[in-house]
Order: sequence, then C-alpha cells, then structure tokens
Amino acid sequence: MAEKTFTVPIGPIHPALKEIESFILTVDGERVVNVELDLGYSHRGLEYIVTHRCNPIQAIYIAERICGICSTSHPYAYVQSMEHAAGITPPERAEIIRAIIGELERIHSHILWAGVAAHEIGFDTLLHWTWKIRENVLDVLEAITGNRINYAMFTIGGVRRDIDEKGIRQIRSSLQFYREVFDTFVATFIEDTTVKMRTRDVGILTREEAEKQVAVGPTARGSGVPKDVRYDKPYSAYADLDIYPIVPDEFTHEETKGDVYDRIVVRIFEVLQSVHILEDLCDLLESTPGPITYQQNLVVVLNQLKRAVGEGIGRHEAPRGEVFHYSMLNKREQPVVWKVRAPTYNNYASWIPMMKGTQIADIPIVIASIDPCLSCADRMTVVDERTGKSRVMTLQEMREMGWRKTKEIKRRVA
Amino acid sequence: MRKKRAGMGEAPYKKDNETFTYDGKKVTAYPAEKLFDMIKEDFGEDVEGEVKTFTAGVKKKKEYKEIWLKVKRERFHELVEWMSKIQVPHLAVASGRDAGEEIELIYHFSLFYGIRDSEVSLCVKVSLPKEDPVIDTITDILPGALITEREKQEMLGVKVKNIPDPRRVFTSDELPEGYYPWRNDNDPEVEKELVRDLSKEGL
Amino acid sequence: MFPVAIEVLKQMIKRPFTNPYPAKYKPKVTLTEVVELVQKGKIKLNPPVEVPEGFRGRIAYNIEECIGCQLCIKVCPSRAIEFVPEVKKVKIYISRCTFCSQCNDICPKKCLSMSKEFELADYEKYGKSLIIGATEDYVKKVEKEKKTADKKE
Ligand code: SF4
Ligand code: SF4
Repeated sequence: MAEKTFTVPIGPIHPALKEIESFILTVDGERVVNVELDLGYSHRGLEYIVTHRCNPIQAIYIAERICGICSTSHPYAYVQSMEHAAGITPPERAEIIRAIIGELERIHSHILWAGVAAHEIGFDTLLHWTWKIRENVLDVLEAITGNRINYAMFTIGGVRRDIDEKGIRQIRSSLQFYREVFDTFVATFIEDTTVKMRTRDVGILTREEAEKQVAVGPTARGSGVPKDVRYDKPYSAYADLDIYPIVPDEFTHEETKGDVYDRIVVRIFEVLQSVHILEDLCDLLESTPGPITYQQNLVVVLNQLKRAVGEGIGRHEAPRGEVFHYSMLNKREQPVVWKVRAPTYNNYASWIPMMKGTQIADIPIVIASIDPCLSCADRMTVVDERTGKSRVMTLQEMREMGWRKTKEIKRRVA
Repeated sequence: MRKKRAGMGEAPYKKDNETFTYDGKKVTAYPAEKLFDMIKEDFGEDVEGEVKTFTAGVKKKKEYKEIWLKVKRERFHELVEWMSKIQVPHLAVASGRDAGEEIELIYHFSLFYGIRDSEVSLCVKVSLPKEDPVIDTITDILPGALITEREKQEMLGVKVKNIPDPRRVFTSDELPEGYYPWRNDNDPEVEKELVRDLSKEGL
Repeated sequence: MFPVAIEVLKQMIKRPFTNPYPAKYKPKVTLTEVVELVQKGKIKLNPPVEVPEGFRGRIAYNIEECIGCQLCIKVCPSRAIEFVPEVKKVKIYISRCTFCSQCNDICPKKCLSMSKEFELADYEKYGKSLIIGATEDYVKKVEKEKKTADKKE
C-alpha cells in the first residue's frame, strides 16, 4: 500500500480565492487515502489591527471586510457582541432591518454558491443562468443599502439607513421573482440526473462526524444535524418567526447521507426559506414604526463605548453557518479583545472525512461543497514517490478531469 | 418535491420541539438556571459564574440565556466531559486574552442546539498562570477543537497538553519563537520589526 | 439536461442583459486616439446603467463649510482622511476610501457627502484626481489669499 501511494499538494494560492489554503493529499490511484490541511495563507491579523488601532465604530467596517460575500454577517455578530458588552439595546425597527439584510444576503450567497458548484462539475450553462437570477437580489440590495456588497448598514445600537415604502415594494417584487423562478431552479439543479449522479455519494460527512468536528451551517444540516442559530437561539427579529432548520430528507425523500448532493439540496431550499422569512419580515417592518438607532449622535456612542466595561458574544447564522464574535471593552478607545470565528473555520476540519475515499476528480466539488466561496486549488503537483518525478497539474487540468467525469456520466445516462 | 412554506412553521421531521434525538438518544432541554445549578452541584467550589439573560424579538419577546463560568483548570477537561454526557457540545471557538499575570482562555460552548429557542451558550473561562500556561486538550472529546487549540498555542503561547498536532495554523513559520501576537508583553523591538502600519508609510 | 435546454433556447431569443458600456466595440484605432475622438465628440458612448438613489460613490467635500473638528478622521476605518493643520481643513485620499460613508454621518456640518460618481480610475494611486480637499494647491491658494489680504490691510 505505502509504496503505491502518491502525495498530491493542492494550493496554496489562487488569485480568485477568498480563502487560500493548501491540501496535501495522499492518493492511491484515483482514490484519496489521506488529507492534510495547511492553513493560514490569508491570515490578515485583523484582530490585532482592531485591538491596537481601531475604535469600535471603525471596527464595524473592518468586520465587514472579513468576507465579501458574508459582508453583513460579520457586522451582524460584531454589533451584537459590542451591544452586549456595552449594555446597549437597539430599537425594534433596527432589528427587523438587520434581519432583512441578512436574509437578502443569504439569497445572493446561496445562488452564487450554486453557480460555483455547477462550474466545478462542468455545467457552465447552469453557472451563467444562476448568476443571472442572482442579479435581481443584488439590485434590490443596491437600491436599499447603496452598494451591491459591503452594505455599511449596521452600526452599534441600530442600523444606518431606513427601508422606506419603496424599498419594501422592491423587496416584495424581488421575492415574487424568486418564487417564480424557484421551480426552474429546482428542476435544473436538484432534479437534474447528471447533477445528481455526479454529487450523490461524493464527499460524505456522517452525522456523527459533523457533530464531533463541530461543523456549522449547511454543512452540518446537510448531514442531518438540525442546527441553525435562527432556530436554536432567538435573536434579533428572528425570534418572531417560526423557522426550522432545513435538512435534506424532507425534500429528497431519501435517507440523509451527508454527501455533496444533500448539501446542495439544503442550500437551494434555504433560498426558498429566506423568501418566506422575508415575506414575514416585510409585514413586520410595515407594522413597526420607530427610530432606527438608539442614539443619533455618533459622538455620544463613541464616548459611551470608550467608557464601557464588559464583554459579550454575538452569533448570527450566516449563509455558510454560524458566525461568532467575542468582544471585550475595558475603558479604552479600542476593544481589548476581539475574536472572530467565521463558519469556514469550523468547517475546515470536516473536509478531512469528506475527502477521504473520494476521487481526485471530485476534489473541486467537495472543496466547494462547504462553500469556502470558491474551490481553492490553484495547481497541484503530482509527485511520483517511486520515481521521484513530479509534474504540475493545473487547476484547469483538474477541473477538466471533473468535467470528463460529468461527460461520462451523461453518456451513461443517455 | 417542494412544500408550501418550506422552512417555516413546525419542522415536519420533528415530533416535538423540546427534544433533539440522535442515535436513539433523546436530549431534553432544560433552562439555563437548572443547568447552572447542576454544574454548581457537581463542581462545587471549582466553578463560579452567573447566568445572563437577554431579550430578543419584536412583537413576540423571547428570552435567551448565556452562562458565564470560571473553572479551575484542573477540572476543565472534566467539565467538558460532563457536558458531553448531555449532548455533544458545540464549540464555537476558544478566545483568549492576556490578563497581566495570567492568560485567560474562554471556550465558547453551547448545548441544546437543535431544539427550538433553548440553546444555552456556555462561556467557560480558564485562567492559566503565565509561567506555566498548560491546559488539557479536549480533542479527545471534540476532534473539531484541534484548529482552535492550535491557534491558541501560536497566538497566546499556551501549551495544550496531549494535542495531537502541535504545528502552527495561521501564523507563518517565519514568526520568531516566543512572539505571541495576542499578548501584551512582547518585546517591543521584535514587535516593531514585525508590525508595519502601511498608512503611516504612505502606501 | 432537458430543463436546462429549454432555458438555453429561451435565452437565445432574448436581448442580451449586458449594457455595452462604454461602447460595444473599440474602434480599430489606438486607445489614445479613441480618447481624442471621444473628446472631440466623434464617438458617442453608451451611458452606464443608472445607479440607484443613495448610491455611495466618490466622496464630495464642501471645504468652505468644514470647521476642522476632525471627527471624520476619528471614525474613518481606512484612514483616508488627513488633517492639514495649516488651513485647519482635511484632505481625503479617495483611493483609500472604502465608501462606507461613516464620515458623512458624523460630520457636524454635513459638509461631506457621497456622490454618484463611480468612474475613479487613475494611473497613480495618489494621483491628482484622487486627492480632494486641502491639497497642496489649496494650501498655497489660501496662503496667497491671506498674504494679499494682509497687504491690503
Ligand atoms: S466614506 Fe468611509 S472610508 Fe471613505 S473617507 Fe469616509 S469614513 Fe473614510
Ligand atoms: S467632520 Fe466635517 S467639519 Fe469636522 S473636520 Fe471632518 S469634514 Fe470638517
């Protein structure tokens, strides 16, 4: 066995990646027998920057730029943690607006991911189609917040912009659009035979592993763990809604396997769930007038935060799973401690059980299946241990391997 | 394949919202105060802490609770074991800070996930003296804790006993030994070498 | 494959979604010549898609109103704003700005605002077009004015 295996490093860098990491795979023929992770290539030391240089207001925008796609999830958790630390309660209308932005973001993030997943299995028609329908929600976000991403909506103690009548109308018409295209979305994605054959039984994460590896978000739910912060713990306006975590067997009518297909199902139906949540939130917003911040004057807020002593945690269910922030204030301009935990931090570990036993051609989709935004292989070197020769395999080659596999399946289906 | 309002209302796959079933084992949620009393009973003097209550919601107000505990480090591992008898605890992350003479680690667990509105966050603080910052690993109970433990080793300079993989995770190999970014007592000379403020350099 | 095929066929008869901005094709001349032709008005450019109300583009600064309180500097997350003590005004590096508009919110005189302009490209990060407010030219101008005012007295 030992002399037959190869070591295959994947990564660490690719210009399009948000998270850069490197995998060292040991392969036996086409099968992966062992995986090692090498992380930290994109560590930016944001916690250090904030605790040494920024006041809590500046830190909101640092938090916003942790991730481009979850650009509202990090501020969401961050402002919660700060509000707990300083004992501030945001007004009700602000809580609803926060949840609305969070859900709109989930729609765009999941659709983006669906496109990436389609690309990884060589289904580019679907990639372009999904990204086309994603534009609709981005337009709404731009109209109500001012930018397509990095909305700059959150502030400590409330939100910065109100959503008026026109904004609500725009959201409603967008929801109508998504309800209309959703059937096509399901038909082209989940019910498609090629997609199903290509992703069923690939990258399995069992329920036990998911719990032990503390997986979060759709990665955990795809394995059947009904874990969702919006359901487990009432926070913000989510406390008013009856949400339940989406697990795949409800929609596939098959046993939950915890494979890539199950994770696709969870994400796609979460788009529909978000549409339903947004309907309720729009109604709620209309019936809740009031201020949007607890204190208009930012100078007062800054001074209060400077004097505050305390600590707090903030949690939000981001598209990729639970975002967790811990902050501590102690009579200083800057926060004393700030710890950020993004969902992928927890989901890294679940790659290892997922990848063991899969084929190299499946690696891109397995990597993409936990939604680290983009598959993170730049190139891989195949080292032949017996001859000591090595050759470099580009991401393109690897993708093509994946595409060839899809074509084969298509032939078999036809 | 789809239902009317997927994701809203009562979960169709759950018979009730008070329990979480896994592997034939049923987990019933109880209030944070009771959990806190149980911990107090079993650990006595070795733990201290409080239950914090927060309210959420707009029209329907709901409460949620956080337990903030301080535990002696000798009994920390035992506490995690104790929790895992109730449910596999969810570990969000371990954070930490340099508290002068000591290093304070805070493990953010939560129990009763998967049960409507009853998740309890447990923030467990453990103080380690700086001259002997050793703590037991919990990867034997929760293998997923490995990354956060490795991170605490490199960022705060704690030593995790029996850690299966002691390498660095996030910092580069070039970072000098003995420099821990989250500590306040670093050699200012080394820090000056390492930390650049690009906006001051006009970049 | 079938549902996708229908979608693809539907797309074929639709007008492309993309707005050909600034023009569909570049005329077969060099880029400098294109710029010249545009300036002469020989080529007409397509307008960009309208940006919505409340879009956060290049920052606009009403320097006369500013009282030099430095609050905007305090909240700017990217340190895009610098105080110029000679004239007690601020200088803004657009290339560092992240368009969060936090400085707009805190300014007591409301002399900062976000315009709708989004075409900010320049050859240099700190090129002339990307620094506004109390630039060197402005400082010189103010000092000159001061001198002439002094002379008159
Ligand atoms: S918009 Fe934001 S980043 Fe830009 S100058 Fe103002 S505070 Fe700074
Ligand atoms: S906050 Fe406004 S008035 Fe104060 S220095 Fe800045 S621009 Fe000038």
